[in-house]
Amino acid sequence: MIYADKSAGIIVTGATGRQGAFHIALMNEYAKTIGGTGVVAGVTPGKGGQEVSGVPVYNSIREALADCDAEVSVIFVPAGAAGDSIMESASAGLSLAVTITEHIPVHDTMKAIAYAKLHDCAVIGPNCPGLLSPGEIKLGIMPSHLFSRGNIGVISRSGTLTYEIVDELTKAGLGQSTVVGIGGDPVIGQTFADALHRFEEDDQTKAVVIIGEVGGALEEEGARSTDLPIAAYIAGISAPPEKRMGHAGAIIEGGEGDARSKIDRLRNMEVPVACRPSEIPEIIKKIL
Amino acid sequence: MKFLEHEAKSVFADHGIPVPRGFLIHTADELVGYMEQLPPEFVLKAQVDVGGRGKAGGILMANRQNGIATAKALFGKSIKGLAVEKILAEERLEIQHEYYASIAVDRSTKEALILFTVEGGVDIETLAKERPSAIRRASIPLLMTEIPPFMLRDLLGGAPREAGKVLQNLYTVFCRKDAILAEINPLVTTSSGIFAADAKLIVDDNALRRQGISHNRNLTDREREAESHGFSYVELDGNIGVIGNGAGLTMATLDLIDFFKGKAANFLDVGGGADQERVMHAVCLVAGVPTVKVIIVNLLGGITRCDEVARGIISAGISQEVIVRLAGTNEEEGRSLLREKGYRMLDSMEEAVRAAVEAVR
Repeated sequence: MIYADKSAGIIVTGATGRQGAFHIALMNEYAKTIGGTGVVAGVTPGKGGQEVSGVPVYNSIREALADCDAEVSVIFVPAGAAGDSIMESASAGLSLAVTITEHIPVHDTMKAIAYAKLHDCAVIGPNCPGLLSPGEIKLGIMPSHLFSRGNIGVISRSGTLTYEIVDELTKAGLGQSTVVGIGGDPVIGQTFADALHRFEEDDQTKAVVIIGEVGGALEEEGARSTDLPIAAYIAGISAPPEKRMGHAGAIIEGGEGDARSKIDRLRNMEVPVACRPSEIPEIIKKIL
Repeated sequence: MKFLEHEAKSVFADHGIPVPRGFLIHTADELVGYMEQLPPEFVLKAQVDVGGRGKAGGILMANRQNGIATAKALFGKSIKGLAVEKILAEERLEIQHEYYASIAVDRSTKEALILFTVEGGVDIETLAKERPSAIRRASIPLLMTEIPPFMLRDLLGGAPREAGKVLQNLYTVFCRKDAILAEINPLVTTSSGIFAADAKLIVDDNALRRQGISHNRNLTDREREAESHGFSYVELDGNIGVIGNGAGLTMATLDLIDFFKGKAANFLDVGGGADQERVMHAVCLVAGVPTVKVIIVNLLGGITRCDEVARGIISAGISQEVIVRLAGTNEEEGRSLLREKGYRMLDSMEEAVRAAVEAVR
């Protein structure tokens, strides 16, 4: 398991919104079944004193920390204020800010990540489903019923495609140590390389699946940086050049980030790349 | 969203970057009124959003004698399939030297990447491949409000100081306008000073609202409709309509269609928490594409309610066949609703894609 264990207290920002309230309940339901700390406080400026899904709401992270212990935040605030929420998390001394919010202006993301780095706060996301370590902790919105505990790490730029592959792994008897969605935006905090580095320090994890997409070179950079056995799936091989496929991240840049050349570069590094998501479990069984 | 040249130039000029004297015209006759303010020799530049505009005949030299006729000819043209609706009539510069300057979002460093080269006017991508050392680069965190002097010195090398001022102002444009790219190619020196001879500005789509831009005009009608529902939508040229939730899963669905030798008509990501109405709009939108013969709906998720999705598909009531793969909460209810109405449902996305490919064969 990487990033956080069951003892970590969680603060949810944007707690009183529909998404925030809904997922506080789900995160705490999960924490309860496995004996974890769960969400200890919600934060929404101007809504301090309220309660949402059984959790007290504060006006700021600092106010919340005066009353309860927490190490991580999960951010659900709307796009225009999410960068601010990342910086607030870092400034208050939290070690991890998991940013679920999508459509954050990229300049806000860049500034917030730079600021968080100054305060040694790792940012996961934005535009991500968060992470789930089966039997330990759920930070974000992943559907826990598809997961099972085991020794496969998963790092992904997608949300639902991650669930698809986790489902395949679970059905094949391959449990997971931590599944982390690093986000689909062009600029994200934790990269494949960062998460792989954490997996290397983790005794539980024996192999890692990386789920990438067209755009950028983060997958190759990650693969190059690790000695762990890894298997990959890259989405977007049929994507025409110059077309934007949902994620801002999925823009093909001058032939560099297209799926075909990305797959070729990974295969040149002797990383097995699945043609279809359903092939992942077989590949993992081979490299374990 | 990409700004047209004349829009980008006006933004650059507002931030102290010198641009050639020019006038925007919508008809050839409008040129008459500007003729006195233009020098005898000038350039007519079609304002169309395509690369390689010059080579495609979108930039013409003109003078006082043939100006109107040349403008008329240019208005009648289509440049790489785009009709010429606006022309920028601009003074012709006596170029002494050409430079290249740009600032872009760099996803690997998470900072802004400034590029500058004294070899402007060439294809920058070719130069980057063939002689990367000719391009000077500097990475600047967006927490900085201006480019520090050492960085400017490193970037400029032997280039004139006024180019440094342009870079500084370009960085201000980049920051203030939420740009993902601000580019001047070429930046030229003449006997009367330095000018941005061309200008490119792309603003982050996620920042359009705070930039006071109400809608993204780089979209087709159907793409705009999709955007109004909060969908990500891209039109392709096949006959299998695709609706999914999540960009990665939807892309993987497209890839599987390709794998089984089918052709997707589109990419449509309905986003998170798809409810009845959103699904209905998505199905109707894709069904409205004339080439679509069959639609595959591939929805997977924790919070997606399958009964809502099923009702959305049914209420769309379209004529084409819809093949459904559905997993999430209230899965059984959703499935039985669809089964009653005779929809084909498959358990895995691979089976669903195979069925769709066979259906159009």
